[in-house]
Amino acid sequence: MQKLVVIGAGMATGRMLEHLRDNAPEAYEITLFNAEPRGNYNRIMLSPVLSGEKSFEEIVTHDEAWYAGNEITCRFGEKVLSVDTQRKVVTGEKGEVAYDKLVFGTGSSAFIIPLPGHDLPGVVAFRDLEDTTAMVEAAGKPGSKAVVIGGGLLGLEAAAALRLRGMDVTVLHIATHLMERQLDPAAGYLLKKDLEKRGINVILEAQTKEIVGDGRAQQVNLGDGTELPCDIVVMAVGIRPAVKLAQDAGIPCGRAIKVDAQMRTETPDVYAVGECVEYAGNLFGLVAPLYDQAKVLAKTLLGEDETFTMRELSTKLKVTGCDLFSAGDFAEAPGREDVVYRDPARGIYKRLVIEDDKLIGAVMYGDTADGNWFFGLIKDGTDISEMRETLIFGPAYQGGGSADPLSAVAALPPDAEICGCNGVCKGDIVAAIEGGATDLGAVRAVTKASASCGTCTGLVEQVLSVTLGDDFVLPTAQPVCGCTDLTHEDVRRLIKVQELKSQDAVWQELGWKTRNGCHVCRPAINYYLLADWPLDYQDDAQSRFVNERNHANIQKDGTYSVMPRMYGGMTTPEELIAIAEAAKKYNAVVKVTGGQRIDLLGIRKEDLPAIWHDMNAAGMVSGHAYTKGLRTVKTCVGSDWCRFGTQDSTGLGIKLEKRLWGSWTPHKFKLAVSGCPRNCAEATCKDLGVVCVDSGYQIGVGGAAGMDLKETERLHDAKTEEEVLDWTVAFLQLYRENAKYLDRPYKWLAKVGLDWVKDVLADETERKALIERFDISQSVYQVDPWAERARPGEAEKFQPLADLTVRAAE
Amino acid sequence: MDTVVDAPVKTFIQVTEIWVPEGDRLVLATGNYGALAAFEEATRAVSFGKGEGLPGKAWAEERPVVLKGFDGSYFKRIEAAAEARLTSAVALPIFDGKTLKAVLVVLCGDDENRTGAIEVWEEKDGLMMLDDGYYGAAKHFEWVSQHTHFPRGQGLPGGVWSSDTPMLFRDLGSGYRFIRADSAGKAGLTTGLGMPVPVPSGATFVLTLLSARGTPIARRFEMWDARPVKVGKEKAAILVDGICEREGPLWTDDTQQEPRRVGAHMGNIGKVLASGLPEIFTGSPKLTEGYDSMVAVPIYDDGAIAHIVAWYV
Repeated sequence: MQKLVVIGAGMATGRMLEHLRDNAPEAYEITLFNAEPRGNYNRIMLSPVLSGEKSFEEIVTHDEAWYAGNEITCRFGEKVLSVDTQRKVVTGEKGEVAYDKLVFGTGSSAFIIPLPGHDLPGVVAFRDLEDTTAMVEAAGKPGSKAVVIGGGLLGLEAAAALRLRGMDVTVLHIATHLMERQLDPAAGYLLKKDLEKRGINVILEAQTKEIVGDGRAQQVNLGDGTELPCDIVVMAVGIRPAVKLAQDAGIPCGRAIKVDAQMRTETPDVYAVGECVEYAGNLFGLVAPLYDQAKVLAKTLLGEDETFTMRELSTKLKVTGCDLFSAGDFAEAPGREDVVYRDPARGIYKRLVIEDDKLIGAVMYGDTADGNWFFGLIKDGTDISEMRETLIFGPAYQGGGSADPLSAVAALPPDAEICGCNGVCKGDIVAAIEGGATDLGAVRAVTKASASCGTCTGLVEQVLSVTLGDDFVLPTAQPVCGCTDLTHEDVRRLIKVQELKSQDAVWQELGWKTRNGCHVCRPAINYYLLADWPLDYQDDAQSRFVNERNHANIQKDGTYSVMPRMYGGMTTPEELIAIAEAAKKYNAVVKVTGGQRIDLLGIRKEDLPAIWHDMNAAGMVSGHAYTKGLRTVKTCVGSDWCRFGTQDSTGLGIKLEKRLWGSWTPHKFKLAVSGCPRNCAEATCKDLGVVCVDSGYQIGVGGAAGMDLKETERLHDAKTEEEVLDWTVAFLQLYRENAKYLDRPYKWLAKVGLDWVKDVLADETERKALIERFDISQSVYQVDPWAERARPGEAEKFQPLADLTVRAAE
Repeated sequence: MDTVVDAPVKTFIQVTEIWVPEGDRLVLATGNYGALAAFEEATRAVSFGKGEGLPGKAWAEERPVVLKGFDGSYFKRIEAAAEARLTSAVALPIFDGKTLKAVLVVLCGDDENRTGAIEVWEEKDGLMMLDDGYYGAAKHFEWVSQHTHFPRGQGLPGGVWSSDTPMLFRDLGSGYRFIRADSAGKAGLTTGLGMPVPVPSGATFVLTLLSARGTPIARRFEMWDARPVKVGKEKAAILVDGICEREGPLWTDDTQQEPRRVGAHMGNIGKVLASGLPEIFTGSPKLTEGYDSMVAVPIYDDGAIAHIVAWYV
């Protein structure tokens, strides 16, 4: 095993060791030196430790157990005296250790301004736990005073913390505003005001002359004669990479140890990571790039390819109640444009800097909610030209999510039935969760909710989320459209559970984000409502696709096709004469369709009522060739004519079509009846197909012969025509009540499973109930739409309504 | 989530209840009475008008109220409280601007072995002064606190005041060398939660809950930030600080891990976000991080919930 020696147990080397041990625990025998008498802790959280808002134990990243468990030999509290890169040994205060690979993670040290008195006791930096402890000690004296030199991130965090500790604090800053590297003057002004509100004295453009005292720091004197008595002086004016050890070892350094993009120094088998490195002329002080470097170095040490790249950084100040954010470049320059938002009453300032239609900088004070979003735009170089006007208001103005996506489920009472298949109420599910069922599988196992057809899965997951909060991660579901976060299945279930019987009820109770839906959701909601509440809800023509509104299929030239119904594909000479006359009268092209009907193409829109009238006069009704509804029942000639026919397939087809026509379904629904297994009516690729056999009738469902090609699967073997009719009606109604809008039966079956459908329909009570509900629906919807619109005076009504706020579905 | 319920502990607060306005009365919304069934029964029979009893007084005076010793006081349930050996109470009105949302009442028993502190601090003449407090057996700490004041930005009361934010202090006894801190250490006080109490008058109040290990006010504290300036326009809250006896620190360093975030209706905090009311959750340890009960209190600012503090015991 190769020997790896790491100098410095800081955050960067700590992360590097984690990657190494996670990916190749046996790759190296590791020795870790640290001058501090402890291992890795989250140094950037020292400020809240100083303030008392965290304890040191809370910020320890790697404790003794972690090092022991990862078999890392720790030499903590031992300074490294020298490195011999020729012999490949590191010499510590307690002796030598040989290495095959060496990592420098020596970090940085605080920069101490060489003022007179800078070396007096009581002058501390703010780099480690020892500095923190010294400050806490100083704060222990009632009435004690602190002077913090440096109004950057670290200095201000120290100042606020010492103030909380009870000290009188003065911040000295040489620039004209605080945190001038991260903030612009306006934000700096607000920050100063905020700190002063905490009782902190801030002096800008301060020229610190000297620190004086009798044996320890007792006063700071400024160039303008100001005298600031103190018990401690905190020097927080910056850091400098700790590179002396590397320099002494002859490792090439610039301002820090020079590394390449793989964290290799120019000396073989010697690497560096963290604040002690210089990469492409850059030094590093924030933690994010250090972690990137750590990951790169771990891969390099394992012989894998990885490249360190620079990235944009953002800044946050850890002072409770101070909300500031800055990222990118916000210096003034030609060609740059500022967008500024101020709210003086609430102390909010936001400034965006735009160049070449891209956001290049953002400074925010008081309202940082959108900081990460702006940061993302900066990092990604997003073209913001189209949202320029509203950019400052954040993502919510660019089309955000729902304000309250769980409100509908949260509002359900405990007795609301979530799973219709198994009769499971919300209260049952909550009780199961309280009893320890904290995921979908466990809830299913305990309650059977969503264990059958599964269409209530989304709702069960939402109950889990409402009950468990963020302990349950709600899977991302595909919502109906941008108007809601609910899925089709959720909406269907909630319409039933909450007995929502109007579109307005749906919009309100399910928290729709738009006033009255959109062209995507309205047809679906309209269908769900009419399917579930045929006696209460009135079909809304404006929520239908154009073909359904006009009761004819629009063609590519803007004319329409008209197709009268021919039950079971049967017609009469009288019907054919009427069709022929109409074709001549309205100059139609005549086409025989695959569905065993005759299509009249090329009818002008204004002629539609008249041709419908003529068809009605000959006893024909609409063939609904344009609907998401029952289309045709294709048949073969059957036992009356065919030598092979086993049953009266034509007669059965006619009976089926006469029973089913006019019904609305989630998508178009086609049937066929073949008189024998030779299957001339192609019944095995229909939504429902019946194949007659000597012993009776084989009912298959879920076929497809369009974009997808799929053979039906056997639903049931029936003995009589009556049984075929019952099972067909029940199947159609089950599909009508449960499927997602625009799912053909084969897609729906793939979701709920044929076994579930078989189980439901095999239950005679359930089957009869489905039939009864279908017949109720047919009592409303089995009407000929042509007849209504063909009457003189009514013909104009099939035109779209003139409510311009309602965008017709297209 | 750990579901192992720890052995019962002797808690500093024995009863927690939430009263909500209904017409011109305050009625009981929910309460956690532990084993004090008779007191619970007596409570369910009463409601309070403005100025009546302790909840009504907090409503009428629009400020938090500490009441120590019920005999001869305006307290309405004196007999039931005496039977339950409850002797002191603190009422915390929760206002959204001028609108009273609820009154949270906590009741404690006089027990020489119960240590903790519930304090109300009020700003007077530019300093945070102790208005009143209940300390149980921590008599010396009580005396010290009565003679302590905090300037802006100093200590827990001064920090909450200047930042207008709830704060959670650790190691109350070890870090501060002032007399109050020293006394806190001797009293065994470990964790301190301070929260601003906005009232319609604009007066500044800070409530502190100082918890001791032996008789904890809470064994888990959480502070959630729900300000739109922090979480955006969507109703949500992020966990900004917290500590738990069993899980340790609950905060995350956001350079490494995003803080926990919940939306309205998502779990218990989501329920408070949605209802805008304080809530008490009991009876389902699975939903209260393995503890017996959880109290979650919203703090309003600028017409919306700004923070939610929660404690579990």
